[in-house]
Amino acid sequence: MKSLNLIGAVIGVALLAVAMFVTGRLSAPGARVPVPSVTHVTDARDVIDDNLMVSLGQAKNFHRKAKVYMSDGNLAAATATVRQILSLSFPQGAPEADDVRLDARALLAKLLVMQGQLDEAMRTVDEGLASSQRESFFVANLYTVRGEILEARAANLDAEGKDKSVSAEARRSAIAAYDKSIQINEKLQKQLVEKK
Amino acid sequence: MSHDDDFLDASVPEPLDEASPSERTHARTFADLVDKSLVGRAPAAMSAEDRALLEVATVIRATRGKAELAPARARSIVEDVLRGAVGAAAAAPAQVRSIATARSRRVAPWAVAGASTLVAAAAVLALWLRGPSTVEVVEVEAEADIPTSWTSRPADPLIGPIARAQAGDASARIDYMFADRLDGYRERRLTVAGRAAGGQGGTR
Repeated sequence: MKSLNLIGAVIGVALLAVAMFVTGRLSAPGARVPVPSVTHVTDARDVIDDNLMVSLGQAKNFHRKAKVYMSDGNLAAATATVRQILSLSFPQGAPEADDVRLDARALLAKLLVMQGQLDEAMRTVDEGLASSQRESFFVANLYTVRGEILEARAANLDAEGKDKSVSAEARRSAIAAYDKSIQINEKLQKQLVEKK
Repeated sequence: MSHDDDFLDASVPEPLDEASPSERTHARTFADLVDKSLVGRAPAAMSAEDRALLEVATVIRATRGKAELAPARARSIVEDVLRGAVGAAAAAPAQVRSIATARSRRVAPWAVAGASTLVAAAAVLALWLRGPSTVEVVEVEAEADIPTSWTSRPADPLIGPIARAQAGDASARIDYMFADRLDGYRERRLTVAGRAAGGQGGTR
């Protein structure tokens, strides 16, 4: 009787082990868990909602405020105002967020160039290019601004009487930036025409 | 000791003679000794003569029926006798353990340990065979019946290529973008078609 009980216990444990094994196998490779794509850009379900309109409205107001400062010659205040656009919160995944921030960086870089802060301007542009999720006319514009910064740097080097080869290198980089901008613009325009 | 020797070596007095002071003293001392031994406080050391006399006194007291057992001891003896009268099996039922029980007690810990080990091994095996779970990233299919103008989307078609002269004219572009999105937002929220579409979309 005792040995029968023992055999029963062993069989029970063995069955448990088999059950766990089968469960593990069943839930393994073939399981498909649909997860929204992280790189997803947009689809028809992402409608314009209140949050997007609020964010766009805030960006619009900051730009207007910066414009007033610029018209008043207060470039430092204008710069600070444009920086605030970069920290605006947009709905997650909204393509407009990328566009608005890149455009704000372009203006910010130009303001910094006007104040002689070329390194800071270049950093602003490079950060924007690094953070961009896709090619757009705004990315192309940022490359254009990059070319302008490099041009300004070359001019400064010439004015300071530095080695001509250094300024020539800066100009070559500026041309490469402009070329990149043109390349992106052409590609996107072609895509838009094909869509139509 | 000299006192005992004097007492024992002295001549035996006549029965009607008055007790001498030494006899009285000795009698009082021995009476104390007897009293103490009766209550269980007999001194550990005493003379051989006193010990012999004390044993004699104890025997005499016992033979006269004055000796009593302690209540606990007496109860224990009575219970033993009664238990014996009822039967031997009832005498100590909890003390006897069968061989089978003892064996099962010996095996039980090993059985528990073995079962636990098996379960753990099965779990490890299941985890190992399961491997890394694959998550398939899927694009959610678009709902085709929502107008594009209602959707959040890149502004490239709206803005177009940006000329170098307008590179810093972000203010004008955001105005244009805002106006366009506002049109779509109003159309979706305020028009009959938009209200009819109702709950469509809205997720991000």
